[in-house]
Amino acid sequence: MKYINKILLFAIAVFIGHSCSDLEEDTSSLLEIGKIENEGDIAANVAPIYRNLLEMYKNPHRVRITTFGSDDITTWDAGNKAPLRVFDKFDYGNGENSDNSWLPYVWDGYWKTIYYCNTLIHGLKTSTAAEELVKVADAEARTFRALSYLNLVKMYGNVPFILDGVIPTGKEQRATVLENYQQIESDLLIAEKYLPLPGTEETGRASASLAKAILADLYLTWAGWPVKDASKNQLAANKAKEVIDYNYHSLVPINELWTLSGAESTETIFSLRFSLDQSIVSQQATAFTFHQGRGFSDCFPELQFFNDFPAGPRKDATFVLDIPNRGITNGVIEDKSPATKPWQTSDRKHPMYKKYVLAEDLVFGKRPASFRSIEAYRYAEILLIYAEGQARGNGENASSIEALNEVRRRAYPSGTPDVTTATPAQIVDEKGWELAAENKRWFDLVRTERLAEMASKRDPLEAVTLSIVPTEAQYIAPIPFNTISLSKLKQNPEGFKIQ
Amino acid sequence: MKQKRNPVLLNKERKQLIVNSKLSVSLYYITLTFLCLSVNTAYAKFDSESLIIKTNNAIQQTITGNVTDQDGNPLPGASVLAKGSSTGTNTDFDGNFSLNVPSGTTTLVISYIGFKTINVTITNKTTIQVKLEDNASSLDEVVVVGYGTAKRSDITGALTSVSSKDFEKQPLTNVSQALQGRAAGVQVNQTSGAPGGGFKIRIRGANSVTGGNEPLYVVDGQFVNISTINVNDIASMEVLKDASSTAIYGTRGANGVILITTKKGTSGKAKINVDAFTGVSSITQKLDIMNGADFAEGVNFSDGTEVFTAEEIEELRANGGEDWQERLFQTGYFNNIQLSASGGSENVDYYLSGNYYDASGTVVNQNYRRLNLRSNLNAKLSDKVKIGLNFNVGQEETTGIRADLGAGLAFDPSTPAYDENGDYNFNSLKNLATSETNPLVAVENNVRENVINRMSVNGNLNWDITKNLVFNTSAGIVNSERHNNSYESKISSTIGKAELKNKYATNIFNTNRLTYSLDINENNSIKVDAIHELILEESNNVTVKASDFFTDAVTFKDLSAANVQTVTNSQTNRKLESFLGRFNYSLLDKYLVTASFRADGTSVFQNDKWGYFPSASLAWKASEEDFIKNIDVINNLKLRVSYGKVGNQGINVYGTRSRAQLGPINNYPFNGTLSTGVAPSERVANSDLTWESTDQLNAGFDLGLLNSAITVSLDVYKKNTTDLLLDTQLPAYVGPTLLNVNTGEVENKGFEITLGARIVRNENWNVNSTLSISSNKNKVVSLNDDIQFLIAGDEIRQNTFPVNPTRVEVGLPISTFRGYVFEGVYQLGEEADAAVFGRVPGDAKYKDISGPNGVPDGIISTDDITTVGDGNADFTWGWNWDVTYQNWNLNFVLTGSQGNDIYNLQRGRLMALGAQQFHAVHGDYRNRWTTTNPSNIPSGRDGTEILSSQFIEDGSYMTMKNIALSYNIDSKILSKMGLSSLRLYSSVTNLFTITNYSGFDPEATTAVDNADADVGIDYNTYPINRSVTFGLNVTF
Repeated sequence: MKYINKILLFAIAVFIGHSCSDLEEDTSSLLEIGKIENEGDIAANVAPIYRNLLEMYKNPHRVRITTFGSDDITTWDAGNKAPLRVFDKFDYGNGENSDNSWLPYVWDGYWKTIYYCNTLIHGLKTSTAAEELVKVADAEARTFRALSYLNLVKMYGNVPFILDGVIPTGKEQRATVLENYQQIESDLLIAEKYLPLPGTEETGRASASLAKAILADLYLTWAGWPVKDASKNQLAANKAKEVIDYNYHSLVPINELWTLSGAESTETIFSLRFSLDQSIVSQQATAFTFHQGRGFSDCFPELQFFNDFPAGPRKDATFVLDIPNRGITNGVIEDKSPATKPWQTSDRKHPMYKKYVLAEDLVFGKRPASFRSIEAYRYAEILLIYAEGQARGNGENASSIEALNEVRRRAYPSGTPDVTTATPAQIVDEKGWELAAENKRWFDLVRTERLAEMASKRDPLEAVTLSIVPTEAQYIAPIPFNTISLSKLKQNPEGFKIQ
Repeated sequence: MKQKRNPVLLNKERKQLIVNSKLSVSLYYITLTFLCLSVNTAYAKFDSESLIIKTNNAIQQTITGNVTDQDGNPLPGASVLAKGSSTGTNTDFDGNFSLNVPSGTTTLVISYIGFKTINVTITNKTTIQVKLEDNASSLDEVVVVGYGTAKRSDITGALTSVSSKDFEKQPLTNVSQALQGRAAGVQVNQTSGAPGGGFKIRIRGANSVTGGNEPLYVVDGQFVNISTINVNDIASMEVLKDASSTAIYGTRGANGVILITTKKGTSGKAKINVDAFTGVSSITQKLDIMNGADFAEGVNFSDGTEVFTAEEIEELRANGGEDWQERLFQTGYFNNIQLSASGGSENVDYYLSGNYYDASGTVVNQNYRRLNLRSNLNAKLSDKVKIGLNFNVGQEETTGIRADLGAGLAFDPSTPAYDENGDYNFNSLKNLATSETNPLVAVENNVRENVINRMSVNGNLNWDITKNLVFNTSAGIVNSERHNNSYESKISSTIGKAELKNKYATNIFNTNRLTYSLDINENNSIKVDAIHELILEESNNVTVKASDFFTDAVTFKDLSAANVQTVTNSQTNRKLESFLGRFNYSLLDKYLVTASFRADGTSVFQNDKWGYFPSASLAWKASEEDFIKNIDVINNLKLRVSYGKVGNQGINVYGTRSRAQLGPINNYPFNGTLSTGVAPSERVANSDLTWESTDQLNAGFDLGLLNSAITVSLDVYKKNTTDLLLDTQLPAYVGPTLLNVNTGEVENKGFEITLGARIVRNENWNVNSTLSISSNKNKVVSLNDDIQFLIAGDEIRQNTFPVNPTRVEVGLPISTFRGYVFEGVYQLGEEADAAVFGRVPGDAKYKDISGPNGVPDGIISTDDITTVGDGNADFTWGWNWDVTYQNWNLNFVLTGSQGNDIYNLQRGRLMALGAQQFHAVHGDYRNRWTTTNPSNIPSGRDGTEILSSQFIEDGSYMTMKNIALSYNIDSKILSKMGLSSLRLYSSVTNLFTITNYSGFDPEATTAVDNADADVGIDYNTYPINRSVTFGLNVTF
C-alpha cells in the first residue's frame, strides 16, 4: 500500500512538473510572406503572377464578359448564357445587374494580379539578389500591374489606387480615370527601361515590347473617350514605332498564325502558356465551338460583322463555315453523320471563329480542349496602333501607311492594291477585322464613341436583341455587387469620375 | 474504348457482386466479433469458476427470491450478488432468482439499470422479496457533471439527462438519433440521408457566426469526435446547457456540452447480449419532375423554336425519355449486429462489446460499413485506489461514388440513360437542360474508398488520499486516420484522375483533479475541486493527385500509371492548457451554491492567449421547506438561477496569420517546364485575435408532483456572445480578402419546457410520455463599428449565386435569406407597368424597393434585394411515448419544428435558374404563364431571379421520427431455451411527415453541413430516408 502511495506521489509530481507548457504556435512550416531575397525567391514570386493571368485568360468568355456588346461577338439566346446576354444586349448602366454571376471573375482576377505584383515590388526593395535581377523582376511586376489596371479602368472606369508597400483597409475611394492613367504610365515608363529586348527571352516572358505595347494601348485609350486628350495620339504612335524599330517582330503567314506555334512566333508580343504535360488547359476552343461541335456555344460573330468582313485569306482563316457535328460515345468525341453542317443550318445559325478552334485538341477531354497560347498583344495590333496614332496625331506618313498595308497584304486576296491613305475610322475598322474576337474591338468602339452606330446595325436575325440603344452609360460595366457591398466604393455611374 | 456491352446487365451483375461480397464480409466480421467475445467470456467464466471453486469449500445455503419494481412488475435480468464474494446471478424473466451463497454471507446486493441498488440482509432467510426503487423518480440518482459527479437533487444548473432506457427500445445506429426529440434545448437535425452521415446538433441555438457551434462531446472524461461512439455502448448522456454547467469547460463549453458515459459491467454472472436488426430504406418522396414529353414542350416554348417536332414529342409521350429519379434512387438495406458481454467480481468489472453495421445508400451508388470494439475495465487495487481503462477502436468505410443529385435531377428527361446499343447517352441528346455528363457515368465507372480508423484509449486512477481528499487523474490518446482515395476513370474524366487524401490526427490529453469535501456539520457541507488539464493536438495531411493514366486497371492503387503526379502536405498542431477550480456549498440541504472558475490558454492566438471564465449558481430546494412539505401533491420543487461566462476558440491553426500560398495553382509552365510559385496570403493577419465569449443567464425550476408521476422542468435563458470570431470578407481590391476579427454581439434567448407524465402504471399497463418544447430567438445585436451587415456563409455562393443567399445583419437572426421580392408574373393588361422595367407579360414581377439614392428608381437592381425569409424556427419540439402492455411495448417519438422558412434553391435550379441550368425540368413549369394560362410562374428564364421570395417556403413540419413495436417472449418458453430474455421488434423511421414544404424533406435542408450562417437552404441535399427495421435482442 505504501508502495502505491509513493508511486502516486511521484505521478502527481510529474503531472505538476509538465504543466505550464509552452503555448507558442509552431510556425516552422510557414513561409514568410514578401521575403524576397535571392534569385530563387524572385522566380517563385514571379510565377503566380503569370499563372493568375493564365487562369483568367483561359476562360475567354468570362474574361471578356463586359465587352460582349461589341459587334464582333454575340452569344445564344438560351442556355446558361444569361450573364453574357446582360452585356450583349446592354441591360446595365444604372447599377442593375451588378450581381451578374460571372462579373466578379475578371474584376477579382485583375485585383489578385495587382496584389501579387505589389507584393513582389515591395519585397524586392530589400532583396539581396543581384541588382540586375531585381530591376528586371521589378519591371516585370510593374508591367503586369499596369496591364491589370489598364484593363480594369477600360472595363469598369476609375478604380482605387492600391500600390506596393501600403496595406489597404477596404475603405479606399476610387481615384479618377486620369489619375489611374498617370499611374499606369509611370509603371510602364520604368518597365520599358529594364525589361529585356524582344528575342532575348522567349515570347512567354515579358519583354520591352510588351511594356511599350501596353503604353501604346494606354495612350490611344487616353486620347479617346473619356479623357479625350488628343495629344496622346502621337505618343501612342511613337511607342508603337519603337516596337517596330526593334526590327525583331514580323507578321507570320496567315495559315500559320492560328496554329499552336503561331502564338509563340515573331508576331507574338506576349502570350500566356498552357501545358499538355501538366494538364493546364485552355477553354478557348471549347467556348468558341458550338454545342453540336461539343463546345459551349459561348462566342460567335454577329452576322452583320461577318457579312461586312472583307473576303480574302484572312476571312478564311478567321471563320469556320462548315460547323462540326460531333457526339460522344463512351467518353470519346466522334463525328456524327454528316460530319459538318453549313453554318446557316447549324444549331446557332452563325459561323464559328476558326482562330481559336484551329488548334483544338479532341482527345484530351470530353469537349474540345486547347493548348494554344493566348496572346495579350500581337504585332499586327502594334502596326495598326502606329497607323491610327500617327493619322490622328501629327498626320499619316509613308511609314504609317506602310504599317497598315503590311497588315492588309496578308489579309486580302493577292493582287489587292495597297492603300495610299486611310482615315482613322478606316484603320479602326481594319483593326476590328484583324483582331476580331480578340477582345480589342469593344475598346476601340468605346474610345471612338462608335458603339451606338455599330449596335444600330445589328442584324434583326440575331438571337440576342437589344434592350436599349447604348449610350455613355453602357461604356463601362457595373462594379461587382460583392465589392460594392463590402466597401465604400460608389457604383457607376455615380462613382465614375474622369478627372 | 468502343466495346459493346449492356450496362444495365453490368450494373445488375455488379450489384449482385456487391451483395455477395457484403454478405461474406458481414459474416466474416460477425464471426470475428463472436470469436473475440467468446474468448473474453471464456476468460470471464474461468475467472468466476476459479472463485467458485475457492468458495465451494465452505458450506453453502440457497437463497431464492423475486425482484420487482415498486409496482410489482418483475425485473428480468437484475443482478443479484452475494456481498463480499463474486457469487452472483441474474433474475429470470419473471424476476425470480436462486443463488447458492457462501456461508457467512449476510447481505445480497441487488442492482438493475435505471433502479437504485439496494442491500438486502439475508440472515436466517431463504426467500426474499425485493422491490427496487425507480431511479427516474429518485432525486438521489448520481449524474455525471463536468469533471465529476453530483446527486441530481444537488444540481444547480440546467442539465438534461438521456438514459439508455429512453432509447434502447429503438434500433439506433447513431448517437444523434438517441438525442433527437428527447432533450429540451437540444436541436438535432438530420442533414442528409446518406448512410452513416449527416446530423447537426445545436444546444440553445447558434452563438457564433463562423467560430463553430458544435457542442463539446466528452466521453468518459475524454474529448472525442462523436462519430467514434457506438450508440449501443452508451449508458447515459447528460446535456449541459447553462453557463454554470458548461463554464467548467471554458473555451470549449460555449456551445453546450454533451457528457456521455459508456456502459460498465456489474458484478455477478456474466451477461451476454446479442442485438441484431436488419431493414430496408427508401427516400420518403420523389420530386415532381416533368416527363420527357412535357419537358420537350417546355423547351419548345422557352426557346421559341421547334427543338422537338410534334412527332418527337408524340414518341416521347408514348415510350421515350427517362425518369432520372428512378435511376438515381434505389432501395437501400442495412444490417446491424451488436454483441456485448459484461460482468465482474467484487474487485473487477468488465464490459466488452462489438458492433457491425453496414448500409447501402438510397442514392446510387454508395455503401457504408462501420465496425466498433469497446472494452471497459475497472479494478479496485485497494480500498482507496481504483483504476479503469476504456478502450475503443472503430472503423468507418464508405465505398462507391454517390450520384451528383444537383446535376442528376436536373438532367434532360428526354434523353434516356443508354442508347439502343447499351452505351451511355453521354450528354443530353439535344444539348438541353444542363451541359453536365450523364449522372450515371461517374457512378458506374469511378471508384472511391474512404476509410476512417479511430482508436481511443483512456485510463484513469482514483485515489482516496484521506477521507475528505480525493485525487483523480486520467490520461488518454485519440488517434484517427482517414484515407480518402478515389479514381475517375477515363470514360468519365477522359485522361484518368486519381486522388489520395490522407489525414493523421492525434489528440493527447491529461486531466488531474483534487477534490476536497467536508461535511462541516449537519447543516453545512462543502466540496472543492482543483483541476489542471492539458490537451495536445497534432494533425498531418498528405494529398496526392495524379492524372493522365494510360490505363484504368490499377485505379488509385498504383499512381505510377499516371503521367502527372502532385503532392501537397501540411502539418499543424495546437495546445490548450487549463486551470480550473470549483466550489460547492450546501446549507441545510436546502440552499445550494456552486461557483467555478477556469483559465484557458491556447496556442492558436498570438497576443491574447489566455481567457478567464467564471460562473456561479444558486439553487433552493423549496420542497424541503416545511410550508411546501405540507402540500402532499408536491414532492419536489427546486428553483435555480445561474450566471456564467464561456468561450469559443473556434478558429483554425494559423487562423491569426497570413500564410503564403504554395501549390500547383501557383506554378507556371515557363518554356514548357513548370516553375514553382509562391503567392502571398489570401488572409490578413490579426495578431490581436482572441476568444469569443458568451455570457449566459439562466433561471429555472424543477417540479415533481404526485411522487414524480408528473414532472415539469422549465428553464429560461439569455445568452450574449461578444467579440464574435468572424471570418469576414474584404473587397477584392484589397488583395487578401479574408480576415478573422473579433467583433460584434449575438444574442440568443429562449426557454425550454420538459413535461413528463407517468400516465398509467399497473399490472398490465405502463404508459409514460415526455414532451419537450424549445424556443430560441437569435439576433445579431451589433457588428463592427458602423457596419450593418457582413457576408459570412459564403460556401454556397461560390460559383453558384452572384449574391450570397444569406447575410449577417444587425437586428436580424444570423441566417436571414436575401433576395428580390417576387410579386408574381406580369399579366395581359399590365403591359404598361411591365414596360417601366423593360418587361413584358409573362416576365417575373419584382418589387422595386429602392435605388442608388434610396428611393425606388424604376430599375430592378441589387438595391431591391432585401430580407425575404428566416431559416430559424420559432420553436421545436419532441414528444416521446412509451406504452407497455403485458409483453408488448410501443415506443415512438414525434418531432417538429414551427415557423422556419426554407430557401428552396433546388427548385430554383430545376426551374432553369442559376448558371448551370438551361431548361426547366420541374413539374411547376407545366403551369408556366402563357397568354391562355395566366399563372404566376414566369414563362422565361431571362430576368427571373433565383434569389427571390418565389423560392421561399414554410419549413414547419411534424414527423413521426421513430416508432418501434416490440414483444418480449414469455420467460417460460425462454427458460427451456436457456435464455434469460428475448425481445423481437420492428420499427419505422420517418413514417410520415406533415408539412407544406415541396422539397424532399423539410428537415434535411442544410446545404453545407454545420454552417449556421446558411441554415435552411435546400440545395443538393441528400434526401432523408424512411426505413423499416426488424430485429431481435437476446440475453443469455
